[in-house]
Amino acid sequence: MKKCEQIKDLILTDYIDGELDKDLAGSIESHLLDCSDCRAFFKEVKDNAAMPFQKVLQEPVPSQLWSAIKENIENENQATNPLADFLDKFRGLIIFPKLVPVFASVALMLLVGSVTLNTVQIQQAKDKDQGEYLVALLSPTSSSTQGDNNDLGTPIEHYFL
Amino acid sequence: MEDIAKDILVKASQGDMEAFEDVYKASSSFVYNVAFRVVNNREDALEVAQEVFMIIHQKLKTFRFESSFKTWVYRITANYAINFAKKNSRAKTVPYEDSFGEGAVLSEAQTRMDQEHQSQLVEKLLAELNPDQRACVVLRDIQGLSYEEIAQALNININTVRSRLKRSREKLLSLRRQVDYEKV
Repeated sequence: MKKCEQIKDLILTDYIDGELDKDLAGSIESHLLDCSDCRAFFKEVKDNAAMPFQKVLQEPVPSQLWSAIKENIENENQATNPLADFLDKFRGLIIFPKLVPVFASVALMLLVGSVTLNTVQIQQAKDKDQGEYLVALLSPTSSSTQGDNNDLGTPIEHYFL
Repeated sequence: MEDIAKDILVKASQGDMEAFEDVYKASSSFVYNVAFRVVNNREDALEVAQEVFMIIHQKLKTFRFESSFKTWVYRITANYAINFAKKNSRAKTVPYEDSFGEGAVLSEAQTRMDQEHQSQLVEKLLAELNPDQRACVVLRDIQGLSYEEIAQALNININTVRSRLKRSREKLLSLRRQVDYEKV
């Protein structure tokens, strides 16, 4: 009886898993031929606790597994690779030429604006000077005063006249 | 799991993606199937397998070839899957007895079962075990590892492998008897 208990322990593990040496496995096989109780136990273990797992086929690996792993590795490399950092900075420089036309347009607009403003201001100043000159010519008092005094108002003019 | 040549492992460790793809092709079936059977859920298995390959990719740079690459992959996969299963244990939705169908005797039913039914049965049987017992049964009965390989993969004594397998099988037998008793 004690022998049967020991054999049942071995049936549950080493015997059913083929981990016993030939001699011990042989002695268990001999016992199974003689002992119906141990033989029934062996069949029960085999059918209910071992065979269902041993018969099952391997599940196919889902195709999305590799693409997910590859994507994770690429993201990880980008986050840690110094070369990738450098390339990111370099990519910033590559973006710069895209802004050149924008800067050029703004500069051109500023240039045109300032030239136009200058022209208007010069024209306004000319118009003002011409108006004052005409007013002076047409005004009798101003011509006599000017003629009497010869005062043109600046020291350099005083010097030459 | 298929053997992988050392030069492929060296290239993969240096960041060669084609070489790493070869490593993946040789080991993905083992990694995914162990993950699936230990966490006992397809969706979680995909997450576990993905993480296992990320760990392999990161740690391959420091792999010194002092131990077998296979054993290294077994260890990473089994430990990650066991820890995941322990953290994310899900409620069982189908009772054990339902998996056998009406009055079927498992040994007779085996011959008639198609593979889908077989797979579902295994899923339900594994759900009755704790993650440590499940890993031992999966590595032994589904993946065909020896006791020594299981001990190395799980970093446990070979007698612990024996006792976990013994308890797992006793539990499955006891449940089977209970189902038979309730039907009488």
